[in-house]
Amino acid sequence: MGTMPMVPLVWYQLLAAILFTIGVVGVLVRRSALVIFMSIELMLNAVNLSLIAFSRQHGGMEGHVFVFFVMAVAAAEVAIGLAILVAIFRNRETASVDDVHLLKG
Amino acid sequence: MLEGILFAMFAGVAIGCALGVVFHRNPVHCALLLVGVLLSLAGVFILLHAAFVAALQVIVYAGAIMVLFLFVVMLLNVKGETPLLTPGAAKGFGFLFGLIVATELLWTVLSPGGSEGGPFPAAALPAEFGSPAGLGMLLYTTWLYPFEIVSLLLLVAVVGAVVLAKRKFF
Repeated sequence: MGTMPMVPLVWYQLLAAILFTIGVVGVLVRRSALVIFMSIELMLNAVNLSLIAFSRQHGGMEGHVFVFFVMAVAAAEVAIGLAILVAIFRNRETASVDDVHLLKG
Repeated sequence: MLEGILFAMFAGVAIGCALGVVFHRNPVHCALLLVGVLLSLAGVFILLHAAFVAALQVIVYAGAIMVLFLFVVMLLNVKGETPLLTPGAAKGFGFLFGLIVATELLWTVLSPGGSEGGPFPAAALPAEFGSPAGLGMLLYTTWLYPFEIVSLLLLVAVVGAVVLAKRKFF
């Protein structure tokens, strides 16, 4: 614990930026709603990593509290989202976002 | 030195698994690769002295949320879709937008102001940094109302999920 930290903050932020970008691309290019949800989790985790890194830099634990809240909201979001997905699949026999276009003009 | 090696290892596994999540055909493999991302991020959290959050990451994310995902994959019985990516112009715009986001984020991180923080301060962290006691102390004093609101949100989510899963809507 007392050793001098080797990896600077920028590297953690770079990792978070890369993971967030991969998540954005996943949401935009995949067709399966399930994989889109997984990509959203990827983005949430990238932000969590950046919050934890800033918390380490700052020396306070507020970032950990934010990550706690993000995890709770992610759990709620996944429960509701997957329930909607199951309802759609039950009625439309598809999990692809391209086939759900009732609102398309 | 050890910290650098561990960080490179965790970061490499996380990025590789994340690419797998986005570009793998089978949703079950996608879910398992996402578990890989979450576990390696838990390792990175430990490198940042966030031990309790790392434990939460393993238990809540890699445990509970991923089990939910796998259950739904099993329930829906989705096969790997034949066109993996969304067809036509939307795919091109997706990659273009990803490129723009990447440029913007890297610009922000690597700009002179962004890296001003430099290496982490060598000053000793507080003794309870990252421990359940430290987090609980903040959570039940300063952040008590947000904490209660989040518990209400979870209750609403549970009720909503049950209602949505029971009825026919569409």
